[in-house]
Amino acid sequence: MYSKKIQDKLKLLGVEVGDAVKVRRGEEVYEGILMPKSELGDPDTIVIKLQNGYSIGLRFEGLEIEKVGKHKEIAFKSSERKMKHEAGKPSLSIISTGGTVASRVDYTTGGVYASYSPADLVAAVPELEQFNIDSKLLFSMMSEDMTPQHWKEIAKAVYRELKGEASGVVVTHGTDTMHFTTAALSFMLKNLNKPVVLTGAQRSSDRGSSDSFMNLLCAAHFATKSDVAEVSLVMHGSSSDDFCYAHRGTKVRKLHTSKRDAFKSVNDEPLAKVFPDGKIEVINKNYRRRSDSEVSLDDKLEERVALIKVYPGMAPEIFDFYLEKKFRGIVIEGTGLGHVPTTIEKYSLIPKIKEATNAGIPVCITSQCIFGRVHEFVYANLRKEYEAGAIFCGDMLPEVAYVKLMHVLAHSKNLEEVRKMMLTNLAGELNEKTPVFE
Amino acid sequence: MKCGIEIHQRLATERKLFCSCLAHPSEEKPVGEVVRKQIAVAGELGEVDLAALHEYSRNRMYNYQIFPEATCLVELDEEPPHELNREALEIAIEICLLLNSRVVDEVQVMRKTVIDGSNTSGFQRTAIIGVGGFIETSRGKVGVQTICLEEESAGIVEERDGSITYRLDRLGIPLVEIATAAEIKDAKHAREVAERIGTLLRITGKVQRGIGTIRQDINISIPDGARVEVKGAQELGLIEKIIEKEVERQKKLLKIKKELQGRFANKLEKPNFVDVTDLFRDTTCRFIKKALDEGEAVLAMKLEKFAGLLGEELYENRRFGTELSDYAVAKAGVGGIIHSDEKLEKYGINEDDEKAVRSRVKAEKEDAFVIVVGKKEVCEKALEAVYERALKAFEGPQKEVRKVLPDGGTAYMRPMPGSARLYPETDVPPIRIEKELVEKIRKKLPETPEERERKLTKILNPELARKIIVSENYHLFEKIVNELKIDPKVVATTLEETLVSLRREGAPVENLNENKLMELFIEYKCGKFVKAAIPEILRYLSKNPTESVSYAVEKLKIERMGERELKEIVEKKRKEGKKGRELIEEIMREYRLRVDAGELSRLVGY
Repeated sequence: MYSKKIQDKLKLLGVEVGDAVKVRRGEEVYEGILMPKSELGDPDTIVIKLQNGYSIGLRFEGLEIEKVGKHKEIAFKSSERKMKHEAGKPSLSIISTGGTVASRVDYTTGGVYASYSPADLVAAVPELEQFNIDSKLLFSMMSEDMTPQHWKEIAKAVYRELKGEASGVVVTHGTDTMHFTTAALSFMLKNLNKPVVLTGAQRSSDRGSSDSFMNLLCAAHFATKSDVAEVSLVMHGSSSDDFCYAHRGTKVRKLHTSKRDAFKSVNDEPLAKVFPDGKIEVINKNYRRRSDSEVSLDDKLEERVALIKVYPGMAPEIFDFYLEKKFRGIVIEGTGLGHVPTTIEKYSLIPKIKEATNAGIPVCITSQCIFGRVHEFVYANLRKEYEAGAIFCGDMLPEVAYVKLMHVLAHSKNLEEVRKMMLTNLAGELNEKTPVFE
Repeated sequence: MKCGIEIHQRLATERKLFCSCLAHPSEEKPVGEVVRKQIAVAGELGEVDLAALHEYSRNRMYNYQIFPEATCLVELDEEPPHELNREALEIAIEICLLLNSRVVDEVQVMRKTVIDGSNTSGFQRTAIIGVGGFIETSRGKVGVQTICLEEESAGIVEERDGSITYRLDRLGIPLVEIATAAEIKDAKHAREVAERIGTLLRITGKVQRGIGTIRQDINISIPDGARVEVKGAQELGLIEKIIEKEVERQKKLLKIKKELQGRFANKLEKPNFVDVTDLFRDTTCRFIKKALDEGEAVLAMKLEKFAGLLGEELYENRRFGTELSDYAVAKAGVGGIIHSDEKLEKYGINEDDEKAVRSRVKAEKEDAFVIVVGKKEVCEKALEAVYERALKAFEGPQKEVRKVLPDGGTAYMRPMPGSARLYPETDVPPIRIEKELVEKIRKKLPETPEERERKLTKILNPELARKIIVSENYHLFEKIVNELKIDPKVVATTLEETLVSLRREGAPVENLNENKLMELFIEYKCGKFVKAAIPEILRYLSKNPTESVSYAVEKLKIERMGERELKEIVEKKRKEGKKGRELIEEIMREYRLRVDAGELSRLVGY
């Protein structure tokens, strides 16, 4: 934003952002378009986009500004092309929720922001012509802002599409919390009959090198052609634009801040390799197949669940906050095999776990190691935790345990029933066997 | 004629512009590769850039080679850029001041769309640092419109079968782009302007040197012609030729335009693309035979009333037919085209084949025809491109980007990019330039080349003076001369001639850093050896860079001869009946590396 001083002056002169202007300071003359100010820039410097396309910043003081030409709306032109359906092409539903996959440069915040309509994505990836596409814009949001309420909305929208003619459903989503959403959808959509595929991008689609084009294409192939009637996540399989992996929605996590192949399957093999030309190589044969089953929506969630990370020196009093606020369940991201501070009285979480369990509040144990499973008996301290009532969640990812506990608590508050459900495989989140290779 | 040039000069910073990788091309072998594809996207103002769309239409794959010291996730487009390199920014400001430019108040880093694959991100990061400058030339002032600081592109390794391999060590090296106004008078003047800017860049001592570190692009148009950007002239010597040939080419294209207007009442109809593969089943043309063996096709089309025009020479050794061929090469990736204004025997196509094609495409005497060989869909794309170029001939010269050929000629590369290709790089916040910083840099500006020349011609011969003025060793030269008070001629000869000839004979002189050279001159000042020994010592040290100068001198047994020993030798020679000049010459012949000629002649008294 420009400073108040500049805004007032511009208003007085009748000059708006997007106007063609001539700017003078003594001998110096600049002509171009007055641009919006990035939040990170100096608010007392105006930005002019010169005729050669470059922008420069000029200190406002001592400048004369004059409007010389037409106003240009600085915004992306959305495509209004209607997609025709043709017989013989596989049909596909695309639900857009925002994120980098659908993002553009935003001048006010100085960052990338969601502003693409699904039709623009179709226009951007000509290969999508091979599908009959129905697209819906559900949200335009970055995934760090998603809440359990949004998961419900997405589940409803997907459910509606599953009832329709489409061979599969693709949901475009911000990458940061995409694996929370895939977990939530995995628990909410019961008896899946078709593939539900989430995809996103690590590089925004305003740039030619964006991974969004190939991710979207591979997601479309996987949704329409694969036999995997599960919630999956399709993203780049390597740093190259060669193939994507389809990961099971409850066994995947973002493991890199910025790389294209940030998502990895954890404690499970990826479901398949998907190539942009449509070829699909199944890797993990253990999956739910397409069928005529009657899909149902079970979107109840108990939202008062907390995810707590253990670290050396943490204050056990953090539990008091959640208990006072009437939280109904707690997931702990323990160290190693699922440890929490145990022996030193001042730091021990054992009394807190006991207190919660006694109050009927389940405490679930996962590991911040991400890879591998937790174990309740290997060390004495683990046994103390177990005796205090903690539920050890096998090879379940912390984020998945968090989502699952919300789902489970919405169906029962009975501690024993909760324990049983948490340890029962509902949607591929628990594996008996840990794969040898990551 | 209107002409302006753009000079691209790599800066000699330690690190790259937006990451901490080393900013020098790697000597190592690549350790891996990633493969990417790029897509044309809309620019900031919602328009897809024409040049970007052109590259996308070629649908190519790009391979990127990884070099550990000079590649991180930033070059791979797997991590956002880091902060802009301050060292590079300050050098760019210095260059702005040397070129009399105004430094902007706030630098806005932009993304310039490039999808020829030369940047992994699909854009080049670039920012204007200075505007409105000028340089003085023998024919008056020439304006310097903009000075940009930008990322060097990735270096091309090879191109084949629709995929290009690039090396990532070069990507991201800081570069300044200096664009002059279209105020250059003629070809000779263009060369002067390029040389002048090159000299100013070099006197900073902060720019990279050697092959590929400086490149010129040239913008040229003639009245009624079109603005053409010629890319990538690496040799100054070519600039004049490029301009002369381009002017000639545009004039000829205007002539062809006039001729076409005379021949055509209406517009050129799009001809049918005819599959003539069957006519070449028994051909004696080797490359067509080979293509047919691989299952490829031969397609042909008529160009109505174009007979004679395709053979029209635009400039020496370049015909209009080649312009059509360039389009087919650039847009479809074929090797070239064959057309009816050529002598087809040279391809091994006989008269019967020619007649058969002519009759198949229904070309009359006044018509031309074009043949392409390759996969059928590629051939169709190629003929489409040829037709497109033929149509444009009715308009005269085209606005386009062309690449330099070794003889100073040019070939079509791609359409001229528009301003839609630039949009803000939001990963890098705008950088405010404080006046104090600019003033600090202004105070430390190097002298102008003229000031240096004036100073040096008093103490050096003109040839040596010219060399040292633009030398990267200039600052070392000054330091040695001023601090050690050594004869400037000895220092300049060593730095500019001895090192060069040692490099030519293959000695690894890059091992001789500033400290080593300083050590050499300190020992010389102390009288440890004579100046004739310097090449021997440097040759040895370049191969043994960890040894000291004094150790090298001892090892080579070339210590300066002491007065007593010298006197003894002189006495001995005198006894043998030698005297005067003969005596001196004989001693110098035998002890050249150990005896100072001045000292000897004083001793002999000749």
